[in-house]
Amino acid sequence: MTRQLTDSPVATAGTVTRDQRRGRWSARTRRDFIVFLALALPNLALIAVFTYLPLINNIYYSTLDWTLGSASATVVGFDNYINFFTSADAPKVLGTTAFFTVITVGGSMVLGLLVALALNSKVRGTTFARSAVFAPYVLSGVGVGLVWLFIFDPGYGVLSWLLRGIGQQSPQWINDPQLSLVMVITVYIWKNLGYCAVVYLAGLQSLPQDVMEAASLDGANGFRRFISMSVPLLSPTTFFLLITTMLSSLQAFDLIRIMTPLGNGTSTLIYEAYMQAFGAFNRAGYSASISVVLFAILLVITVLQVRFVERKVHYS
Amino acid sequence: MAINLGRRHFLGLAGAGAGAAALAACGGPTTGGGTGASGAADIDFSGVKPASSIDFWTNHPGKSQDVEKAIIEKFQAKFPDIKVNLITAGANYEEIAQKFQTSQAAKSALPGLVVLSDVWWFRYYTNGNIIPLDNLIKQLDIKVDDFQKSLVADYKYADKQWALPYGRSTPLFYYNKDHFKAAGLPDRAPKTWQEFAEWAPKLKASSGAQYAYIYPALAGYAGWTLQNNLWGWGGSWSNEWTINCDSPESVEALQWAQDSIYKDKWAGVSSKEAADDFAAGITSATIASTGSLLGVLSSAKFNVGVGFLPGGPKKETGVCPTGGAGLGIPSGVSKEVQLAAATFLKFMTEPENTAAFSAATGYMPTRTSADMTAVLAKTPQIKTAIDQLAVTHVQDNARVFLPGADQEMAKAAAKILTQQGDVKATMTELKTTLEGIYTKDVKPKLKS
Repeated sequence: MTRQLTDSPVATAGTVTRDQRRGRWSARTRRDFIVFLALALPNLALIAVFTYLPLINNIYYSTLDWTLGSASATVVGFDNYINFFTSADAPKVLGTTAFFTVITVGGSMVLGLLVALALNSKVRGTTFARSAVFAPYVLSGVGVGLVWLFIFDPGYGVLSWLLRGIGQQSPQWINDPQLSLVMVITVYIWKNLGYCAVVYLAGLQSLPQDVMEAASLDGANGFRRFISMSVPLLSPTTFFLLITTMLSSLQAFDLIRIMTPLGNGTSTLIYEAYMQAFGAFNRAGYSASISVVLFAILLVITVLQVRFVERKVHYS
Repeated sequence: MAINLGRRHFLGLAGAGAGAAALAACGGPTTGGGTGASGAADIDFSGVKPASSIDFWTNHPGKSQDVEKAIIEKFQAKFPDIKVNLITAGANYEEIAQKFQTSQAAKSALPGLVVLSDVWWFRYYTNGNIIPLDNLIKQLDIKVDDFQKSLVADYKYADKQWALPYGRSTPLFYYNKDHFKAAGLPDRAPKTWQEFAEWAPKLKASSGAQYAYIYPALAGYAGWTLQNNLWGWGGSWSNEWTINCDSPESVEALQWAQDSIYKDKWAGVSSKEAADDFAAGITSATIASTGSLLGVLSSAKFNVGVGFLPGGPKKETGVCPTGGAGLGIPSGVSKEVQLAAATFLKFMTEPENTAAFSAATGYMPTRTSADMTAVLAKTPQIKTAIDQLAVTHVQDNARVFLPGADQEMAKAAAKILTQQGDVKATMTELKTTLEGIYTKDVKPKLKS
């Protein structure tokens, strides 16, 4: 099933019957199709069983008043959704999710681009620097969270020690809900900017050098070349990063769970779903409805980005 | 048909797949029946033969893995026909509860015996996840009268016994003897918080520690330890099922706590674990579980003193809550497994085994006849914890019976103790939240 098939000269000539076309298709592609099925079906089956079936089940559970651990439940229709959107927690959770996502996506991408520019320069030690910048991205979120908790600890953390050295008290990073959010965002950006940096670095290195040199000959300085040439030419990379980092941020869980187990001030949609079902309340149906809300948001954002943002992307 | 599986479709599919929740992997409930309470009927175990193998789910409270293994080895020697598999089912009470409840939802892989904490067992009861032990107690002749009465009573509801005490603890008052001596204070815990408030400025001035006292970490069961303050001032989280955390007494108690941090500036709030902060010398005193005792004694580089929890202006004694974990038997396993699990439960809680467990962890012996002579000779501080049992107080319903109440209490405490929030308004808001939990999640499941 390729574009070449439908656009083939035989087809467009209109002189071949459907049966002939089918026979011709079978003759040309049967073996490829069998290989395709052999390779794709196991994966499609796995995706169906472990992604889409749970997704459908989850939508069904969201219509139940079900306490996790209870063998029975009551069908309540959209009550869980109504309860969530009319609860006092909903604005907090949605606001925290939006703030966390915007800052972590923006922070990771802007800092990632700056780091990529630095790494793109031809100076000694860039190979080591690239590895060092990327390393946090592949580290376990649990390990990263535990280490940073020690750094932020107001009692005996490194940060507290440094602040005491200049006569300052450490803020209550862990207990204060607002500072907790700042703490988790900081660590999240630190962990993920390496990913953005490496992807941007690949984008920078694939920029057409002849165009850049032509701009330079025309008198454009470095900043001008960056703003008027590099940034637009990097737009496919930016678009790709925007979607992947946004999806990732909306699903961030491990750092929040480890660094702020109470979720006080850091309860994003996914963490609220966890807390409602597993963390405290055992409201499995209600939690499922929050998961569906998150899914809908992810879907809408992705569709909007693909529909509208990509129009502004300049492919080289 | 032309298909262009390009970047757009790939990203679209990625977005679509991203929201699938893990919940859905669980087996689902049946619908149509009520969600009402359990109250499982008494099971007749006569003629039942114990299963040949059971799983014991534990989080090894108080780093008890080695002593649990040792007790299991003794059990195997005595009961070679019942194999006990020691399963680490979580790092704390919450994780073990998550695993237990997801197994309930999946209807598979349930253990024979499970560790259940003070705030979780009631949910298992209301969901029908555990069986009453009364018939097993009778059939296996488990000496319930020999258990510490207050600890057994914690698991009694609707005239049935739903669990037996295992790794049980109370909060203890820990103090740095060296700091107390340097400040010219008596070598004992304060009788009341008012007395400590008089000591605190001297302690802070002479010790060099950041705080004279540090409140336990809010994420680590603030609702548990703050009952001490509430009760001392004549308040509480609740009276039976009536939520009264916004009463003048409760508000006054928490206002005093807030003042100790912001006005008098001698107290702080632990970020992770108050026992660790205390052992590190950050504070001169704190409140932590008896289960932290051995850890503190081994890691502190100063002389550690322990005492009863201080009282308040309205109540000087009987202000210490019980806590910790018990052992329960799931309803979703066969009678044979339940009987084998009860046999093991009986053995685990025999006097010599509870003494061994206590010696290894600092948790309290659950049997009155446990010979603690050797344990006390080695760690005399444990005696304070045992003596304090006589003046313990059953916890407030709101804290132990309302799902998620502990987290809500911790959030309220965070607002008061770390953001200097208005105490009355915060407690009023908490009351509304707790009443909502009771009305929605508990009341419909209680037998009338």
